[in-house]
Amino acid sequence: MNAKGDKERVGHSVEFRNITKYFPGVKALDNVSFRAEGGEVLAFLGENGAGKSTLLKTLNGDYQATSGEYLLDGQSVHFKSPHEAIEAGVSVIYQERQILMELSAAENIFLGRMPANRFGWIDIREANRKAEEIIKDFGLPIRAQTKVKDLSIAYQQMVEIMKAYSRDNLKVICFDEPTASLSDAEIDVLFKIIEKLRDDGKVVIYVSHRMSEIKRIADKVAIFKDGRYVNTVDAKSTSEAEMIRMMVGRDLGDIYDNLDRNKTIGEELLKVENVSSDYVDPVSFSLHKGEVLGFSGLVGAGRTELMRAIIGADRMTGGKIFLEGKEIVNKSPHDAMRNGIVYVPEDRKTQGILANLDVAKNITISMLDQNSNALGVLDTKKEESIVDEGISNFAIKTPNAQKKIVELSGGNQQKCIVARWMATNPKVLILDEPTKGIDVGAKSEFYQMICSFAKQGLGVILISSELPEIIGLSDRIIVMGNLTVKGEVKREDATEERLLSLAMSEGGTN
Amino acid sequence: MKNIWQKVKRFIPGDKLILIVALIIVVAIFTSLNGNYFSWTNFVNILVAASLIGLVAIGHTYLIIAGQNDLSPGSVAAFTGVLCATLVGMGLPFVIAALITLAAGAAVGIFNSWMVNKIKIEAFIATLVTQFVFRGFAYILCDGRPVSITNSAYISIGATRILSIPLSVWIMLILILIFGLILAKTKFGRSVYAIGGNKDAARLAGLNPQRIVTILFVMMGIVTALGGIVFSSRMHSGQPAANVNLEFDAITAVVLGGVSFTGGVGDMVGTILGVILIQAFNTGLIMVNVPSFWQYVARGALLLFALTSDYIRKTNREKALLEASKKALASK
Repeated sequence: MNAKGDKERVGHSVEFRNITKYFPGVKALDNVSFRAEGGEVLAFLGENGAGKSTLLKTLNGDYQATSGEYLLDGQSVHFKSPHEAIEAGVSVIYQERQILMELSAAENIFLGRMPANRFGWIDIREANRKAEEIIKDFGLPIRAQTKVKDLSIAYQQMVEIMKAYSRDNLKVICFDEPTASLSDAEIDVLFKIIEKLRDDGKVVIYVSHRMSEIKRIADKVAIFKDGRYVNTVDAKSTSEAEMIRMMVGRDLGDIYDNLDRNKTIGEELLKVENVSSDYVDPVSFSLHKGEVLGFSGLVGAGRTELMRAIIGADRMTGGKIFLEGKEIVNKSPHDAMRNGIVYVPEDRKTQGILANLDVAKNITISMLDQNSNALGVLDTKKEESIVDEGISNFAIKTPNAQKKIVELSGGNQQKCIVARWMATNPKVLILDEPTKGIDVGAKSEFYQMICSFAKQGLGVILISSELPEIIGLSDRIIVMGNLTVKGEVKREDATEERLLSLAMSEGGTN
Repeated sequence: MKNIWQKVKRFIPGDKLILIVALIIVVAIFTSLNGNYFSWTNFVNILVAASLIGLVAIGHTYLIIAGQNDLSPGSVAAFTGVLCATLVGMGLPFVIAALITLAAGAAVGIFNSWMVNKIKIEAFIATLVTQFVFRGFAYILCDGRPVSITNSAYISIGATRILSIPLSVWIMLILILIFGLILAKTKFGRSVYAIGGNKDAARLAGLNPQRIVTILFVMMGIVTALGGIVFSSRMHSGQPAANVNLEFDAITAVVLGGVSFTGGVGDMVGTILGVILIQAFNTGLIMVNVPSFWQYVARGALLLFALTSDYIRKTNREKALLEASKKALASK
């Protein structure tokens, strides 16, 4: 029997047909159609916001697609919840664990379908025995009785995979950024298991933005861009550069080369000395006028936590902050704003926009003190002029200022937040993943915006997990890891490899 | 016909129009069952009975827009009524007694906000504590017996009429107007909407949600205490068992008026309509001799109706948003 015939015998398949999904302000998926075969690992590749995770979530019923249809092994299926999907043999393993920490590995694996005798009593021995079998199958050094909270993160993830695997009818298993918090050795274990699932004929979908991993584990790569499916290519024979070009749709180098940058960096503006909070270890750095200071690092490195301590969103437990040579104390974001330090948060939807208010009120919300008289009555003329200025300065695309902010696209929502802060005339602007979930066109607008803020003499702090972005924009890059500073790199010395190896290094240089 | 509807809609927003129509229907039904319902005397009676609900509903409008709630006003109104009557009975001048009572109301508000801000108890449960404790204090203060009021200044609050409308009604209407303007026109009002929509985002935008919540509970304490004073004056006595379920009526009125439990949505115009609607309903039930046990059922049904329309409004808002953004994205 040839290889192809073999595949047809055991292989499952998923077909995506014209999947479209809208969120307020975003067309997250645009008519996506393609097919994933069992017996091979299919990687989803795309920038943040390209629609990879959303596609998985509409597949397993976590979200409902606005239109379109799924075929599982040729049968049309529609899952109303992830639970229904699991029952039908479709599992998604997320970055965040979906397991119960207080239960044992075996109890988690058989959650909701524990072996029981005819009186309904749970047969824990039988459960443990069956769990041990699966663990042996996977070749893992853990015990079925161990509580999950006592396992390492990697093994917690394995428990989740075994939970999916233990169902006889498992057809499709999807991994959403599974290696984000795993060490190299742990990744090896995971990949062995993925290979096993593939050889069993399951459809394996692997979402990641780490090119090296995709090259290593994937057989085929489906490429996404701005919510659209671009193409599926062979993982081994297609070059990295080619894949990147397909997912970005343009040569990134040009965007950064053509920016009108600030060339004269001024005196020291902000000096942070050993600032710490309950969520971040002591960190020191300084920022100059007209400088773009990048903060690089993996998810959970402590960058957001550091900024929250600086602006007083979290209580500072130690350290000092100096602005233009004078010590300042920020007990709340309000204090920070009055001192001239403002922060555009990472999660625009839950921390940035005020979803119940319109564009105008979102832009003016931080100017209430300046825009009201002694009685607290708001001056609508003053507010209007600030709103008009913000909309024209930042080219916010909205039919009028009375539109609810959630009706705008992600990029325009983000521009409203930036307009909100720029109205307060800040000295230091902190941008936390400002281009996350924003389409490519709006991204380049943001890049130019960042450069012109520096030109105006602001100190800009840029947190970004996208390495090309941080390298392309920053004058200097501080790399964080493990809640502290791992090193500092000048723009001319910055390469992706250098930043990554610093981020993953053990020691700190601080 | 359709034309007239469109014209009316231009002056009165749709959601308010529905309330007015509902009010007309309620009046029509009760009038058909009891001819005395539609009269100036009964209209004034309804407004008087609504005056206490109206004061408390001012507080609830603010609190619920800010994403909070308060279940204590019934007890607090009874407690402050007894307190003021007791103080006057001890020989204090009415004005002094009233000021002390208002301060006591403010103190209750500080206590409520302390539980919510510092011990991080959900307002719904935190204020249940206050509801019980202050009902207890009301009984303790007067040893369970109503405190009768003989002070003429005190009694005149409930008895005075201006332009043949009782003072208690004027107090409610004027305060609703003032607090309505504050909510719509000032930075404080704007902040209330902002923290109700998203507390975290509002804090990161430089607002101080905890301080705003404290002010709101204090405000609620003061209007409730004012309501307690006016009510005791009308009754000629401070009654520890009075005003049970006051918060129920006020919350029903506010939700009927379009304030959403999700926070960040609503206004005072809706609230005044809601207050009149619910009192027209409650008074009607009494006038057509609905047995009092069944009145409970009817009022519960009205709250369910209010909550259901809140839910429908919410899903409609979300649908409209999605459609609008679809259109905006498609045109791009």
